[in-house]
Amino acid sequence: MSNWEIAVNRAIQNNVPRVYSVLEAHKYIEDMARKVREGKLKVLGNIEAYVEETLKSVKRTGGYGYYVATPEEAREIVLKIIGDRKRIILGKSMVAYEAGLREFLLEKGKEVWETDLGEFLIQLAEEPPSHIIGPAIHMTKEKVRELIKERLGEDPGESHEEIVKFVRNFLREKFLSAEVGITGANAVAADTGTIVLVENEGNIRMSSVVPPIHISITGVEKILPNLEYAMLESLVQSAYAGLYPPTYVNVTSGPSSTADIELKRVSPAHGPKEFHLILLDNGRVKASHDPILQEALLCIRCGRCHYHCPTYKAMGSGWGVPPYSGPMGAMWSYVVYGNKEQALLCCHSGACANVCPMKINIPKVIEYIKSLYFKG
Amino acid sequence: MNTVKHTMKLVSDEMSTSLMPFPVDKKLCYGWAQDIPRGGETILYTGCAYQLALLGHSYDRLIPLITKIKGIEKLKGLASKVITPSKDQVERSWQILRKMATILRKTGVEFGYLYEDEPYSGAILLEMGLIDEFKEVSKKVFSIFEKYNVKRVITVDPHTQYALLRGKEMNNTAIEIRSFYEMVGGFKASGVFTIHDSCLYSRFLGLRDAIRNIVRSSGINLIEDPMITGRDTSMCCGSPIAPVNYKVSDSIAKMRAESLKKLSPNVLVFCPFCYENLKAHVQVKDFMEVVNVE
Repeated sequence: MSNWEIAVNRAIQNNVPRVYSVLEAHKYIEDMARKVREGKLKVLGNIEAYVEETLKSVKRTGGYGYYVATPEEAREIVLKIIGDRKRIILGKSMVAYEAGLREFLLEKGKEVWETDLGEFLIQLAEEPPSHIIGPAIHMTKEKVRELIKERLGEDPGESHEEIVKFVRNFLREKFLSAEVGITGANAVAADTGTIVLVENEGNIRMSSVVPPIHISITGVEKILPNLEYAMLESLVQSAYAGLYPPTYVNVTSGPSSTADIELKRVSPAHGPKEFHLILLDNGRVKASHDPILQEALLCIRCGRCHYHCPTYKAMGSGWGVPPYSGPMGAMWSYVVYGNKEQALLCCHSGACANVCPMKINIPKVIEYIKSLYFKG
Repeated sequence: MNTVKHTMKLVSDEMSTSLMPFPVDKKLCYGWAQDIPRGGETILYTGCAYQLALLGHSYDRLIPLITKIKGIEKLKGLASKVITPSKDQVERSWQILRKMATILRKTGVEFGYLYEDEPYSGAILLEMGLIDEFKEVSKKVFSIFEKYNVKRVITVDPHTQYALLRGKEMNNTAIEIRSFYEMVGGFKASGVFTIHDSCLYSRFLGLRDAIRNIVRSSGINLIEDPMITGRDTSMCCGSPIAPVNYKVSDSIAKMRAESLKKLSPNVLVFCPFCYENLKAHVQVKDFMEVVNVE
């Protein structure tokens, strides 16, 4: 059995039963998922207006909002915000990967560290993520140990716990000395300009609070009509990822503030002095106008479809254009990269559609992309 | 991947002229049928799936190579002579179809057959994503049914059933499409098996429970595990992507077989393509091979 097969089988055994038991134990999650789908459809039906509303709301909270059409524009804005600052930490963001942000900042001479454990490992390995929320699931713990020994010159130990403790100690100083923290966003509330981030490690909380500047980069499709929907999205995402209840849900509306003196709200307080939200299009708005492709934009990145997909099980990150792999990746490789060939590898087994919390008819979307491939 | 485009162009061209996905001696498709009336309001429709499945692997491996040869289209006549299944393989698939016909008769269903006029369903075009081409083929398939005044079609495999249902929708026809497994029951069989579900029967056509009921009530001891044969955990055999990437298709089959072997060395299938893809990796039987019709 290959390393990949061992790793993916372990991930499936650990994850799939856990998602089923979460859904069984908390029946309300399916209702929340239905509501999130409804909210996302509302936005996708008029995405330009929701982008505008979101940017206005961000401004109202004292933050800076940007809509960018391409990854190039996103990189330019990030660089402009960072300026001469050197030390950058990244909380997990697949949109940052899509925009090529880490490599770009390294090329510009910045010191950049991924702080999500999985992202940290693939940064060390110089490999693409193998799963949308478990970027290093292709590595067995044995492989992780070897990788750390090879790249950082120290043996972290054998067990999962020892490895995690080693990385925690290694990254602690990076968090404390960082000048800019860059995160993604699971959901963005149009009415308040709030971003919601769900996580378990605590790295996102630290990346978004400790450095004086917080940049959030995310796709326009992450917008939801209001904060209620956005909160629900984060909970639904964590449940279908099998990590429910989430350890942390981070809600950020603008830079830090206080109203402790005469109840006058002033900014900044202890957290970031600046908050920037970058909304990346990169094909999403166009896709939102196509009734079939629009479904792909409902994806909340729980990564559940991967574990039920035969092609992903066989190919891992080899199926899809990084960071988008698996069934959702076959759709997203087309949405953001225009790559239709990945769709051809879909077996149309249909399990992905059955387990998708947003009830995306993934085989139908992929069939459509296949048809576009043969049309030319 | 351009090879895939070229391959599918060959398939599509062949479909538009002969209503077969590749050059084939049509006797392979209808040679199994004995004493079945021609035509009729209800027909048993094989779509030549059980028969063509025998050739699928040869074409999947060969086409990427031969499409690189300039002017290969002119030599297609040779293919039907060179790429042929073994006598044993043909006999096996014919026996399965004969058994299905016998079972239908015993169930009291009166049916006919179209013999050499029976076209292939176009399933490969649909599943590969050549939707416009599939629509065209499907129109021709349904017009053949109409020519014979067919009112009800009974299919014997999941790919044909799915293709006809999609075609029915596109052609807006009243012809009823039924699966063999929706119409029969009361089988007798024995042995210990696990089950490999056809993805189409299980997740697209709503026949998962019907098939399980048929198997369980037959007397077979069915071994299942929610992580291996569950509604959403049972994996594909990999067959649908063989024309795109034979190697990945086979590694999916191997992984699937390894999982199934944890439950039982004997695996039941209900689809000729699942059978062909899995058979190199595990002992597999079509359900029709284990039921007793006497």
